[in-house]
Formats: sequence, C-alpha cells, structure tokens
Amino acid sequence: MRRCAACAAGIEGEWDRCPLCGAQLFGHPSPDPLPSVPLRFSRRRLLRILVLVSLALIALSFVVQLWLGHRPSQFGAERSVWLGVCTMWLVTLMAVRGRRHLARGTLQLVVVISLVCTYWDYLTGWNSWSLSFAVPIVCACAIVALAILEQTVRHEAGEHVVYGSLTAGLGIVPIVFLLLGWVTTPIPSAICVAVALLTLAMLFVERGGEMRHEFGKRLHL
Amino acid sequence: MNRRSWVRLDNASNIFLAARSDVDTKVFRLSAEMDEPVDPGILQEALDATFERFPLYHAVLRRGVFWYYLQDSDLRPRVEPERGPTCAPLYQAGRLGLLFRVMHHRRRIILEVFHALSDGTGGLWFLTDLLTEYAQRTLSAAASSVPGDSATDPAPGPSGTVPPAPEIASFSPYELEPDSFAHYFRRRRRRSGRSSRFADAFASAAAPAPLGLQGLSPSPSADARADGSGTGTGSDAGTGHPRRIHRVRGTRTPDLRTRAIELTMPTSALLSESKASGASPTMFLTALFLDAVRASSGGLGARRTLSASVPVNLRQFFPSTSARNFFATIRIAHTFDARPGSPADEPGAISRSLEAEFRPQANARALAPKVARFIRVERSPLLRIVPRPLKDLVLGWVNARENRRLSVAVSNLGRVVLPEPAASQVGRVLFQVSAVRPQFCAISHGEDFTVTFTSPFTQTDHVREFVRSLTDRGVPVRVAAARVTEHELQEVAG
Repeated sequence: MRRCAACAAGIEGEWDRCPLCGAQLFGHPSPDPLPSVPLRFSRRRLLRILVLVSLALIALSFVVQLWLGHRPSQFGAERSVWLGVCTMWLVTLMAVRGRRHLARGTLQLVVVISLVCTYWDYLTGWNSWSLSFAVPIVCACAIVALAILEQTVRHEAGEHVVYGSLTAGLGIVPIVFLLLGWVTTPIPSAICVAVALLTLAMLFVERGGEMRHEFGKRLHL
Repeated sequence: MNRRSWVRLDNASNIFLAARSDVDTKVFRLSAEMDEPVDPGILQEALDATFERFPLYHAVLRRGVFWYYLQDSDLRPRVEPERGPTCAPLYQAGRLGLLFRVMHHRRRIILEVFHALSDGTGGLWFLTDLLTEYAQRTLSAAASSVPGDSATDPAPGPSGTVPPAPEIASFSPYELEPDSFAHYFRRRRRRSGRSSRFADAFASAAAPAPLGLQGLSPSPSADARADGSGTGTGSDAGTGHPRRIHRVRGTRTPDLRTRAIELTMPTSALLSESKASGASPTMFLTALFLDAVRASSGGLGARRTLSASVPVNLRQFFPSTSARNFFATIRIAHTFDARPGSPADEPGAISRSLEAEFRPQANARALAPKVARFIRVERSPLLRIVPRPLKDLVLGWVNARENRRLSVAVSNLGRVVLPEPAASQVGRVLFQVSAVRPQFCAISHGEDFTVTFTSPFTQTDHVREFVRSLTDRGVPVRVAAARVTEHELQEVAG
C-alpha cells in the first residue's frame, strides 16, 4: 500500500498522488477496493427542460388563440397549421411520456385529444363536430385499443382494470351530449356509450373484486 | 388475477421521496470485504435464499392518489458486478424496480438500499443474512467432497447486529407461524394458504415501524447510545439553535455522483482516543469532523456555528421487529470562538460539549413524545386527505428548511457482530449514504473501524483535516477514495 507522508496515512489503490492533499505518494500500489467508473452524463435533465419549454409554448399558443378571435372568418389557414403543429407536438410528447404505461398513456391521450378538439371546435365557430364525432370516436377507439392491448401486451396486474374502467367511464360521457342535444349526428355518441357500458359491465362481472381492490389501493386514505 | 399485497408508505419514509434529487439519491450502501474474491454464482444463490426470507425486499414503490405505497412484486434480484458510481439512483418515478441491489467488486459484497424502504439497521439485517448464506456456501464449496454437508441449510437469523436482529429478519414464509411474528403488529385478518400467508408477511414487514408498537413502553434494557441507524433525514428532535448556521459549499462533481472516501482504522485505537476525550466514539468523531470543517473552511466568518444531525435508532428504546425506517434525528451544534486557540474549541472539549447536548435527548423518555407525534401524524385525518403531489411539495419544503439548519450529518451503525461462519470470512464492513451535504457514516466489525465520508462536492479538504487529526493522535488510518473528477479518472485510464 502506498503512503502519504503529509497525511501520515496509507492510501489504497493505484493513486500517484494523495487524493486528500495531492502530495506525491511512495511505496507500492495495492489493488483498488473501489472501481474507477467513467463519467456518465445523463440527458434526463436536458430532456426535462425541453419538455417543459415545449409544454409552455404549447400552452401559450392555445391561450393566444383566444385573443385572436373565435369566429370562422378569423380562423385562417395559418392558425389551423399553427394549432395543428402544437397539437401534434403535444400528442407526440404525451405518447413518448406514456410509452412505458400504455393503458395510462392511452387514457391521458383520450382526455387531451378530446379537450383540444372541443377547443378547436370553439375557436372555429362551434359547429359541434367535436362532440358529435371527435370525442365519441376517440373514446370508443381507446376502449377497443385497451381491450386489444390487454390481450397482446404484458402489463402490470391491476393496471388494465383501472385504466380500462376509467376510459370506459369516460366513454359514457357522450350520453350527456345526447341528452342535452349538443350533437348533430347521434350515432357516434350512441355507439361509444354502448361500447363503454358493455365494457364496464364485463369488467364488473368478470373482475369486480379486482376493481375494488385496485381502486381501494390507489384511492386509499 | 393476482391481487398483490400492499402497504402505504408512512410520512417518515415519504420525506425520502420528497427530498430525493439527482445529487442526493437517498440510497445507502452497506458493504463487506471478504477474505477471498467474491464468487458471483455463490453470491446469487445466497441472495436468492436471503430474498425469500425478507418479504419487504420484494416491494416496488407505486404512486396512489393520496399516498405512495409499497407493493409486493414477482421481480427477482440479480447479482451484478459494480459498474456504476456509489449510491446510484434506485427509484425512478413510473418505473417499477426493486428498491435494493446487490453487487460485487473484487473481495467486496455490496448492498445498496433505497432509504424509503428501510433504514441502516434494517439493511444490516439483510446484509448479515446474505453474508451468512454466502459464507456457508463457500465453506460448502470448499468441502464439497464431504457427502451430506449441511451448509446449504437455511441460515440462522443474524444474531449480533446492534441492536440484535429480530425474528422477522430470519423467518421463512414457508414456515411462518402467524402468531410468531404478528404479535408486534396490527391484528390482521387470518387467511389460509401459502400465498395469503406470504401476503400477510409482506404486509407486516412493510408496515410502518411505529404503528407496530404495543404502546410506548420503552425496552427495559434501553440505555442512551449514540449509535444511529438512519442516515441523516428524519424528524428533528433537536433543540433550537438561534445562531446562523455555517453551511459547507463546494464544487459539484461533474456528473453529480457522490464523492466517497473510506477511512479504515483499528477499533481499539479509536476507542481509546474517544475514551480519553471523555465522550462516545460518535461524539468524538463528530467533534473531529466539525473541527475539520472549520480548519478547511478558510475562516468561518460570521457564521461560526456548525451543526450536525445524528440519527438515533429507536429500536433500542422501543422494541420493534420492523425493518422499515425507525429512527429519529437529533441536532447538535458547536459555536466556534472568534479568537483562535480557545480551549473550548479543542476537539476534546467539543466532543464533551456535544455529548452533554446529545445525551439528554437520546433516551426513551425524551424520544417517546416524538414517536407518539409520529403516530398522531400518521393517523391525522387532515393529512390523509391531502393529495400525494401536495404532500411531496410540503415535505420537500420541510426538508429544504431543515437543510438550511445543518452543516454536516453523521451516522454510526455501531459494532457489527456477525454469526459464524460469516464472522471469520468478513474483514471490514463499510457504510455510506448519498449526501446533500458533507457526511460520514461509521461502522465497525472486529478490529476494523470504518468511517466513510460522502459529499456532493469534489473537495476533500475536510477529510484531509479529519485524517490528520487522527494520525496526529497516533491512530493509523488507511484511505480508499473513489475517483470522481475527469482528472482523477484520466490517471487510471492513462
């Protein structure tokens, strides 16, 4: 083992100079009990900053749209492209973020896409296309997608039953659109509600105990 | 469909999640140096056997709406060679992984644990069992020609850690007698079958330690002892120190890894020095640490008070078999005189003054209200309905406020007494923790007393002063340092 005369201490490993005071060591080196680990620079912080900046820009873009007016005559091609790019970027960010938890990611996408479509509909003069078509179709597709996911992708126990039932719960919401007469074409909403109710009924019958267990765990007080 | 056992994470453990950062990963490390290079195959077998007996270590951490919770998992730990920096992150939000890892490097067996899962004492129980299993298997391998060797039988429970490891550390879920372990814990619904017994074992092992106490009657053998088992975060039992606290500053390591420097010294030499100073080893070392920080600071300026947090293992006062976090921290401080050479600033005088400050706070009577308060907080209806992200924010703020009141942290796990055949195969045992401020962790085994300094900064001046204080007193010290800067790493690369 090498020694540092200034510190009067033995220095383990293959140091040429004392790691404490920098003085030249003397004696024979001994095997290092600690490995030399190359420096690693994580891109996580950079990615986090990029995501936050992106989200801030997207939120700003959506807010600015309000000031630019919400009549069809005020909503030109430029604003469509602008909003389209923002929406695409938002969906991409969410898809990347939710890639490890597909069921949860799907639910989040359904919520975001539904809200963006409704807002877009409002900005273009409110023709009810969002509530008549976009929201029910997105919800129904998500319910079917989650059913396919459950059969094809390995998932953590309880994950599907929670997000599957939440998505199906969201799928019942179009019944409100129907009852309040907010839709121009009732078929998509009716199909969505039917699919949602059927899915919920199947989940209750087949996995009611598991649902209670999972929700009890996640909402535990 | 498999319904997994789960237990919500207590507030004391929640603080580790709220305080976790890229710099301070809230991971602690216990390692043991064997007399021969480690055999990874045998270590894996030993780990598999030990893992079966510790249901708590099967846990993954998940996020609920109001709480984090520990959930049983099917994941199996794999032994790996040490390739990363010390105390590298173990928990990442949204990723399900075990909250501990076992590694090896040359003669060392290394256990790293996320602090929200367990404290130092709990980690030591696991390491003790792992080392015992490993030692038995290496003996068996050496004497493999002898037929009917019984070395692969399950190991007895660890018997000599400080405090002695309880029965929960050594039970097997396959042999579980519900009454034998459940008597310390909340009454649970009895179910039959192996899986439900395992679920019960998991739920009991993962339950917050104070909630398992049968009242707050202290252990009859409880005596004030400065051995800490936590690693520096917890509820503060200290008295108020009105003066402005000196905080150590430095240059962060390039990739934010923890700077670790291990010091090894003979136990007898250190004990005789601490005895001569009239203080316990922990207070003696803390005094040297504070003096080393002063000496390396280049002048304390207006902030002349240095404070240290010292975790105290509550199991020594309130018997508990839980391996979960069960410690309180006591804050002690010393104000250096503006005039150099004051007799009160001699390390011996500092250690006696720290001892006088620490001792009245480290006993069952002083700590009982803290544990009672903890249980009250855990059961507070108001806190229960606060959503988890808000809890994280509040606890993060509480932690940041605590950090401003601390200069350094120290933790002493005390003397480890391993059962045979582990005792004869293990040399020194080391203990260290990720750090947001300069910190040391001490532990001893046999004649090897180790003090490992960790810090988020590259500077080693305070360690240099600490080592020179010891060597000036005739205590021989060996130093092992991990390379953290580009310059240091280039030395070995070139």
